[in-house]
Amino acid sequence: MSPPIGLRRYGPGLVKFLVLAGVLGLVGYHAAMHLDYPWQWYRVPGYLFSLDQGIFTPGPLLEGLFVTLNITALSLVLSLSLGLSTAILRLSGPISARILARAYLELVRNTPLLIQIFFLYFVLSPVFSLSAFASAVLALSLFEGAYASEIFRSGIESIPKGQWEAAKALGLNSRQTYVRIILPQAVRRILPPLTGQAVSLVKDSALAGTIAVYELTMQGQIIVADTFLTFEVWFTVAGVYLAVTATLSLTVYFLERRANQGFQYAGG
Amino acid sequence: MPRPEKTLGPEIIKALEMTKTFANGVRALDAVSLSVRRKEVVVVIGPSGSGKSTLLRCLNGLEDIDSGEIMIDSIKLDGNKKNRLAVRKEVGMVFQSFNLFPHMTVVQNINLAQRLVRGKTEAQALETTTALLEKIEMTDKTRSYPAELSGGQQQRVAIARALAMHPKVMLFDEATSALDPETIGGVLKVMRNLALEGMTMVVVTHEMGFAREIADRVVFMEHGRIVEQGKVEQFFQNPQKERTKVFLSQIL
Repeated sequence: MSPPIGLRRYGPGLVKFLVLAGVLGLVGYHAAMHLDYPWQWYRVPGYLFSLDQGIFTPGPLLEGLFVTLNITALSLVLSLSLGLSTAILRLSGPISARILARAYLELVRNTPLLIQIFFLYFVLSPVFSLSAFASAVLALSLFEGAYASEIFRSGIESIPKGQWEAAKALGLNSRQTYVRIILPQAVRRILPPLTGQAVSLVKDSALAGTIAVYELTMQGQIIVADTFLTFEVWFTVAGVYLAVTATLSLTVYFLERRANQGFQYAGG
Repeated sequence: MPRPEKTLGPEIIKALEMTKTFANGVRALDAVSLSVRRKEVVVVIGPSGSGKSTLLRCLNGLEDIDSGEIMIDSIKLDGNKKNRLAVRKEVGMVFQSFNLFPHMTVVQNINLAQRLVRGKTEAQALETTTALLEKIEMTDKTRSYPAELSGGQQQRVAIARALAMHPKVMLFDEATSALDPETIGGVLKVMRNLALEGMTMVVVTHEMGFAREIADRVVFMEHGRIVEQGKVEQFFQNPQKERTKVFLSQIL
């Protein structure tokens, strides 16, 4: 009996991976044991959640995660819309809109995100009476939107000229051409870099903690300050981020596979 | 070859003194005038870079002319967006590289503009599409994506997509130039039938045999100008200009 195809194909790689993971694990364990640090992992679950007589109560870390997810989801929607509009303005808007779009991109991409968050929170939010949460969402959307717009632009520009011409020749107007012809093809092509951008967004949302938004990193910081469980808490926080970003990447991966079923790229 | 008699209708394309210079300074059209009557099949020939494709692309506003005037079915093709869309509704175009929409099936490709531009319902569009698929002999490929089809099949679908708009004029821009020899026949057959049905056509092609067979009139272009034009028999058997004779001797 020969082993199943999956094992034959992935087996050798899997063995190598397990060996490497084992060695790294041993090294890590060895280092941890020789570190003069009183590990108290048993205290960590209580900060994640508690089960009291079967009633689930989220702890500060999970509360923080919800805020992080909230910021990320809102910023993702906003930054994608902002990115798409900026890209389209740059490509087919009037000259004034192109200059405006370009100025926005350069300003946002050439200054640190942290400064942008501070600027929005300390300078603009009193004027427009924005909450810390709203300031964080806005700053992240503006920042990631600039990068998303460059991704959209490259995707749109990668669609062959013939597709525009065929749509025009059939009498489609430019909105119909974008919505029905260009964007469906462009989005399939840029799904991987867009996912990378969404992952960055998840991680960058940690900066919202600097303006007193109680998201995951901020909660971690508070617990560490209270308990000195430095390593346990930060490892846990990192693990939670990893779980979120990995879920995101995997979801998009499967979406992409489904979207591309039966669809291949022919030239032109 | 005996050809069925056909009576041409009134002029549907009236283009006067079209001039077009590209950004790189190349003059693609130099005061070209062309009129085409309903049911007429005009074949445009000429060496590459002679402006024949540009001529075609100006007739549905894919390129703008710098000066001159184009009237299609009494609609003036100028800067006006509405007019431009109106003209494109009436003028179908087939490209050298097919330009099917790769993310849509054959049926979706043919349905799309019927629904968006002609405002048909899905069922109405499908009715037209089914009839056209029969005409191009591709009823078995309705759910295929363009990448799953041969070049010839893709081009036939592209023709059907244009015909689904019920155009009054069809423009063919070297429709068979990018095809493998064995798939050209099927595309030419569809075009031939279209000509026989009385479609008004402007065809840019290098297939001289085919030109001879379907053309009512032949236009020979070089350096952005019309060198000579005439009825098909007259043009091939007794060309007037020296340049035409040289060109024909090179390709026939």
